[in-house]
Amino acid sequence: MSGAAWLLRRLVASVAIIFAVVTLVFILIHIAPGEPCPTEEPVDPSVCSELKQQFGLDRPVLEQYGRYLVALAQGNFGYSFSLRRPVRDALADTIPFTLQLGGAALLLDFLLGLALGIYQASRVNRAADVVLGNITLFIYSLPTFWLALILLLVFAEKLGWFPVGGANDPIFCPVVDSLYCVADRLWHLILPAATLGLVGSAGTARFQRAAMLETASQDYVRTARAKGVPERRVVLHHQLRNALLSFITRFGLAFPFLLTGAVLIETIFAWPGMGRLAFHAILTRDHTLVTATALIASTVVVLGNLLADVLLELTDPRLRVRADVTTEIVTV
Amino acid sequence: MSRRSPFILCGILAVATLAGCERRGGCTGSYCGTIIDAAIAEPLTLLPPSTEDVVANDIGEQLFLKLADVGMSTNTVGDEDFQPLLAERWEWDGPLTLVFHLDPRARWQDGQRVSAADVEFTFDAYKDSVLASPFRAKLRRIASVTQRDSLTAVFRFRERYPEMFYDAVYHMRILPAHLLRSVPRDQWKTAPFGRQPVGSGPYRFVRWQSAQSIELEADSTFFLGRPGIRRLIWRFTPNLQVGVTQVIADQADVREQLVTPENVERARAAPQLTLHPFRGNVYTYLGFNLRASGDTSQPHPIFADREVRRALTMAVDRASLVKSALGDLGKVPPGPMSSLLWIWDPEIRQLPYDTAQAARILNARGWRDHDGDGIRDKNGQPLAFRILVPTTSVLRRQYARLLQEQFRVIGIRVEIDELEFSVVTQRLQSGNFDTSILSRGNDPSPGSGITQTWMSGGFGGSNFIRYYNPEFERLVDRAIAAPTKDQARGFWRAAISTINADAPAIFLYALENIAAVHKRIDNVQIRPDSWAALLRTWRIPPDQLIDRDRVER
Repeated sequence: MSGAAWLLRRLVASVAIIFAVVTLVFILIHIAPGEPCPTEEPVDPSVCSELKQQFGLDRPVLEQYGRYLVALAQGNFGYSFSLRRPVRDALADTIPFTLQLGGAALLLDFLLGLALGIYQASRVNRAADVVLGNITLFIYSLPTFWLALILLLVFAEKLGWFPVGGANDPIFCPVVDSLYCVADRLWHLILPAATLGLVGSAGTARFQRAAMLETASQDYVRTARAKGVPERRVVLHHQLRNALLSFITRFGLAFPFLLTGAVLIETIFAWPGMGRLAFHAILTRDHTLVTATALIASTVVVLGNLLADVLLELTDPRLRVRADVTTEIVTV
Repeated sequence: MSRRSPFILCGILAVATLAGCERRGGCTGSYCGTIIDAAIAEPLTLLPPSTEDVVANDIGEQLFLKLADVGMSTNTVGDEDFQPLLAERWEWDGPLTLVFHLDPRARWQDGQRVSAADVEFTFDAYKDSVLASPFRAKLRRIASVTQRDSLTAVFRFRERYPEMFYDAVYHMRILPAHLLRSVPRDQWKTAPFGRQPVGSGPYRFVRWQSAQSIELEADSTFFLGRPGIRRLIWRFTPNLQVGVTQVIADQADVREQLVTPENVERARAAPQLTLHPFRGNVYTYLGFNLRASGDTSQPHPIFADREVRRALTMAVDRASLVKSALGDLGKVPPGPMSSLLWIWDPEIRQLPYDTAQAARILNARGWRDHDGDGIRDKNGQPLAFRILVPTTSVLRRQYARLLQEQFRVIGIRVEIDELEFSVVTQRLQSGNFDTSILSRGNDPSPGSGITQTWMSGGFGGSNFIRYYNPEFERLVDRAIAAPTKDQARGFWRAAISTINADAPAIFLYALENIAAVHKRIDNVQIRPDSWAALLRTWRIPPDQLIDRDRVER
């Protein structure tokens, strides 16, 4: 099978998966217990019924689903009754923040994790490896919400080095329109990104160390050393290149995080991202908003996996060979 | 990785850290000043008739004026304690007609004059069934609002009662007819006006950044006097602890409710904060469902028995519960009321804490521990029930556990259902629960909340437990209709004593509020029913200004 045909087949399968996820989420959120008009205060029952009528929530589920699909096909995500605004606008507000937080966290995760993994592997079983191994294990086992609270307590409340939540200073930088405000955004980004990035990098480091050690015993590495190739070149060119396959797989799995957001961290740091939006949507039984966030999440998960597969195909010639052999066998 | 990468990272960190240093601005004098409120929730809309949201109300106080408003006493009877706002004066034209004369200086922030047509339009909107305003029911005794001339609005009532004036002014914020008349009423909930309002209040809308903040700026030409604070910002955080921490870390100026004793202690330790206690408007109770769980046509097998409910109430030591869970932040309510209400009276007759008497009553009703398992039973059925609480309320979950222990001591088994808020609402509305710990917010009038929650008119609404006692309803009706406050007080006492004796619920606690406010802010006046109602009178002396007060944009 040619590369283009393989890619086309994967794309078609991806669309089918996304459709299935959206359908499932739509049905689940409708059959889940709970009211789309939760209120504890004394409210005239007509207020809720009027709200449901205005937003079409009193129609049969199938009709709602049909209307939703038609709107979706026209590029319309629908209207969020819990936010009283178009879903498209709510997503447009939150996606940039999620991209910033997810991007910064992933950058820290993979840069730091990769560096630590390589460093540990190059000093395997020596003191530095053992110490770093224990530290990464400790950080990896920390719940992110706990780490977030500790960082907030120490660096924001006690030391006052960083802001207590939010994405920007509401007085000096209500909108990001200058270099100063870009720096302000980074300043607000550091604690939440560090929380997510540190825990992630600890995991990445452990995976990368294992992958590096696995390649260390390969013939081509031994040959390179026997040829007198400098150790730095052996590690970076021979070991690391081959150990990157697991890194790519991990990246593919982590990629969706760029757009799905992190509910707990966004809540603790008052970061206005997709995680908080999706959580709010679920709590308020906002069907259109839940389905839209699920659509985006499933799309990036599928894309992440597709991206990882493509990258693996590109970087590992053995996979291409195997695919060709498989195709030939099937053809014969 | 490039060799320069670490340096780039360090550079970003350095720039980011520098950003933490505040820029200096230039405003000086008496009308600078910025107040940042650490708000816990974001409003859905700022269009007053479409929302009862607390933060929307706080912001609405600054944008949309009422004709008049209650005073610091929060007395809702008569009109003597009310303060003029859009109406400079008013008079009674017969027993059922109230005439308001608008202040000719009042202007909408687009320059148009506020007129009686706006008042007429506002009443029509609030009463419109299409709009389904949550305030609609509170205006049911006003027959009409018309304009006599451009500055005179006439209210006609269906009947005479002591809170006529309160009903006329408290629930409605006057809206700009010239901006809203063309918007179909069924689109008001989502109208752009709700996110970019134009009002007549002391502050103008500046910007709303979703999930982040709403900013207002003072209208220096405001007809009732220039506001002392130049800029107000509501900064949204989804978490109370983060909001409190923002105030403690000097990144916000006001947190109007600290809610827990721990937060009060943390705020007390912050040198830049002053604490301002004020009466709370919330009370919480354990409501007994008087109908069978899931079948409202049948009586509840346990709670339909008045004597058993009385015994359960006597088994709970409410005072010690308040002391251990809330400290100074709560009181035991003498009935279904918050401390905001003028009918609050600790002398109202209540059932005492008396576990021995409770046990005697249960024994007498046949609930004994026949099988020696520590749980009372009757006809083979154990004396057991479930308490429904929302996961969102830490305090109510804590109370559920404390109650579980107190009931266990007298041989009652209690299990706790902690459920998501929307599921709790659904179960309450369908009657699918035994008991639930519920909170109610009161406006300053005792009539409105009590009638909706504890009378038969609230069936299908917020009288989830389906309590009905004709004697109680008769007394409440007489209290509401009483011509004087003293007479009303007598009827209220009798009504509350009646419901206490019936014990359809255990009234657990009434919250007392403590606001944390930055010390540099002067003339802090907090009206108990609405902490932000008098924000326009707050000041920051010129010698107390800090960088965020001075900044110019």
